Amino acid sequence: MAVSAPALGDAFAAIVGGEHLTTAPSPLAAAAVDGVTPRWLARPGSLDEVSRVLALASAEGLAVAPRGGGSALDLGAPPSRLDAVLDLSRLAGILEYVPADMVTTVQAGVTLDTLGRELGKHGQMLALDPYGGGSRTVGGVLATNASGQRRFRYGTGRDLLLGARFVQADGTVTWGGSKVVKSVTGYDIPKLLTGSLGTLGVIVEATLRLHPVQPASGSWLFSFTSHEAAGSLVAAVLASSLEPERLAWLNAAALEHVGSERAEAALAVSVATVAEAVTSQGALLGLMASRLGARVSALDEGFWTRLGGALAGSTVVKLASEIRRLPFWAGEVERVTARHGLTVSLVGEAGNGILRAAVEGSALPDTWAGEIVGPLREALAAEGGSLAVERAPLYLKSAADVWGPIPESALAVMRRLKAEFDPRGVLNPGRFVGGL
Amino acid sequence: MALSSAFLSQLERIVGPQAVVATHEGRMVYEADMHTFYKGAPDVVVLPETTEQVVLLVRLCRREHVALVPRGSGTGLIGGAMAPVGGVMVSLTRMNRILDLDFANRCATVQPGLINLWLSQATRDAGYYFAPDPSSQMVSSIGGNASTNAGGPHCLKYGITVNHVLGLEVVTGAGEILSVGGKAHDHPGYDLTGALVGGEGTLGLLTAVTVRLLHAPAAVKTLLASFSAIDDASESVSAIVAAGIIPAALEMIDETFVRAINEGVGAGYPKGAGAVLLIELDGPAAEIEAQAERIVRICRDHAALEIRVAQDEAERALLWKGRKEAAGVVGRMSPSWILQDAVVPRSRLPEIMREVQAIGARHRLVIANVFHAGDGNLHPMILYNDLEPGELERAKEANDELLRACLAMGGSVTGEHGVGVDKASSMPLQFGDADLNFMARFRRVFDPDGIMNPGKLLPSHPACGEVFRPSAPRLPAGAWV
Repeated sequence: MAVSAPALGDAFAAIVGGEHLTTAPSPLAAAAVDGVTPRWLARPGSLDEVSRVLALASAEGLAVAPRGGGSALDLGAPPSRLDAVLDLSRLAGILEYVPADMVTTVQAGVTLDTLGRELGKHGQMLALDPYGGGSRTVGGVLATNASGQRRFRYGTGRDLLLGARFVQADGTVTWGGSKVVKSVTGYDIPKLLTGSLGTLGVIVEATLRLHPVQPASGSWLFSFTSHEAAGSLVAAVLASSLEPERLAWLNAAALEHVGSERAEAALAVSVATVAEAVTSQGALLGLMASRLGARVSALDEGFWTRLGGALAGSTVVKLASEIRRLPFWAGEVERVTARHGLTVSLVGEAGNGILRAAVEGSALPDTWAGEIVGPLREALAAEGGSLAVERAPLYLKSAADVWGPIPESALAVMRRLKAEFDPRGVLNPGRFVGGL
Repeated sequence: MALSSAFLSQLERIVGPQAVVATHEGRMVYEADMHTFYKGAPDVVVLPETTEQVVLLVRLCRREHVALVPRGSGTGLIGGAMAPVGGVMVSLTRMNRILDLDFANRCATVQPGLINLWLSQATRDAGYYFAPDPSSQMVSSIGGNASTNAGGPHCLKYGITVNHVLGLEVVTGAGEILSVGGKAHDHPGYDLTGALVGGEGTLGLLTAVTVRLLHAPAAVKTLLASFSAIDDASESVSAIVAAGIIPAALEMIDETFVRAINEGVGAGYPKGAGAVLLIELDGPAAEIEAQAERIVRICRDHAALEIRVAQDEAERALLWKGRKEAAGVVGRMSPSWILQDAVVPRSRLPEIMREVQAIGARHRLVIANVFHAGDGNLHPMILYNDLEPGELERAKEANDELLRACLAMGGSVTGEHGVGVDKASSMPLQFGDADLNFMARFRRVFDPDGIMNPGKLLPSHPACGEVFRPSAPRLPAGAWV
């Protein structure tokens, strides 16, 4: 028999403490996920409290949405059910950090900024730089597989998460992976958790691989009068032995957002290494770009923080294509949206075939589904690519599935995984691919 | 497990009679991988050529409840590619083609039996290579590398195999073809590619692998630093990493190995050195010049006896030859040895090396070391003579103490070789019941009937009893570590 709502509230309060449980309507409304308002907002202060909250939710058949900084709550489909938001922001400690190991273990709620400051004291960094910046939490960044421009050199969460302590849907505290930089002991459970949107377990502690901050760096903007020329520079860099840290594609609207001079398309490139090699690689890049007709200008380091501003709109889609096809897709997205009177600000991780488009202006739901997302998705799928809507108003989310279709054989396995580890649908029901 | 003749005929119908090995002498070839301690011949070996054949094999075995053991080149060091409970071994060596080379997208798709080095050879002229470089790379297969999530010296900078796998085609234990990942990154949904790599054949059979290709670095510099005391070499490793330098490779070779390598391979490592560091830098010339200068200073500060820099490709190859063929010279030192693959946090390297020596002394055994020092991945080889009464027991005790010492420092059971049967019983040293239970359930999602490589990776599987008779534990000459 289900326990009454007030009794459940008391039970949550007994676990996290009354002052860390929100039941008042207005803060709860502010914690809504895609318009679905939770009945409780719980802020556990320990791993054990997370475990007990989930055990209770599981026993009572409640649906829980984990949350870090709350900046990526737009990601995913609207929840099919939502009873409690599990806010991990109080779990913000750096648990272990031995700089000589270049590894740290942190709680999920620590922000990238806080962690970055601590690591910076020792000349190290966590090479995850998602758009939207340093207020994002480690747990949230991992659960959403958020990435940024540094992925070209350092990879994404899957490459940097060495070990994770997580809580399963039924409250069982579980550890996967290791705390050393190299380990193949058992299945690589951290890979399974990265990007799973908390649907298989809630990451509470993460052990992460760090990198040294390089002694010197340089950034340049190469502006072009055509997509083709910008695309040629990407291809030339990828076919060379140059080792840039970032290789960012920007279209005209994105350039405007970051306050750069107007161009049809541009590549922003950074190199981080010893001073001599920054100079020599910069010179080589400049030479390659000039031959292709680029206008070259030096960028300050702040450019990379401002870059997130180009994707700050209320509707953002992420395209993943073959690397070499990114320039084509940049043009295609502009053409398709322009046809409907919309403009897009495009920022690409050009060395990885990832392109994000912030759509400006408002699309009608039918147009959005039938003439923008649908056709782009279909054409991308033909080359093994995908299109995910990362952020959109509810009426657009309702018009077109935010994740897009998953091949049936893979989706069948994903369903079995979900059924195995969260049979009662406690964790983020309805928000992940295929309605998981 | 005796297989019926009807079953064997069905196998023949699937792969053709010439691709079925059922004779006693034929099967014995497959009774062990490079860890010959563990022996278990399959009842039959099949050599499929297509994914469709693999699907039919899995479905047949599933229907008949027969165990399946995937096998690549058989160079594994964990007893992963032998058949403790018999059954059908699926050798993937005939599926060895490159399916697609795509330089513009920096990737290649290959069949699982393709030899690791062949891919780098096929892409060299275009300026690319496949980064994971297990010492066995001239014979081990990419499918095997992905199944065991193999490492290698250059993993220090470039990561292990999983960091280079973009997509997989897998036939799961349920007999379904699963195509995950691919040329485009960030597929929505769970990262099945990442979670399947390192599955050691317990989740399914890999039938195609899409891997990243890296562009060859602008320049390479290989240094050899020798020290009179291993402690100074260990401290140098920690200091190099602490200085924010991640070399492409940073390998340690101890006194015992320096002697054996010089005698066996003629690598010309400095005579009388207590330890040697083999350090490779790659990248833009200006970068590695600056890093090399810094490394030379660090080694000098730690009382290096001599520092050599390879002057050309031939010298570089010779320095590496000693390292890559190290395992092959162990036979010069001892008839038998036990190999450990544990990892420690890299700052604990000096400490664990002192512990290794203390454990050896306590058990009156020589422990020789050649390993990936930069990432703390040890390969202590405990030398013993199985003809001497009690030595094997002492070696096993030393091995156990060593593993526990690594884990007590926050380390890991295996850095790159994998678990297989060899370390399955050590899993509880690193994982609790809930953790192992999670893994067992993960496995069941892909292999609902438990037919895939039973007895491997997880402890106390019902199939992992005393069903196979261990012979004298030793690695064969010519094994790679």
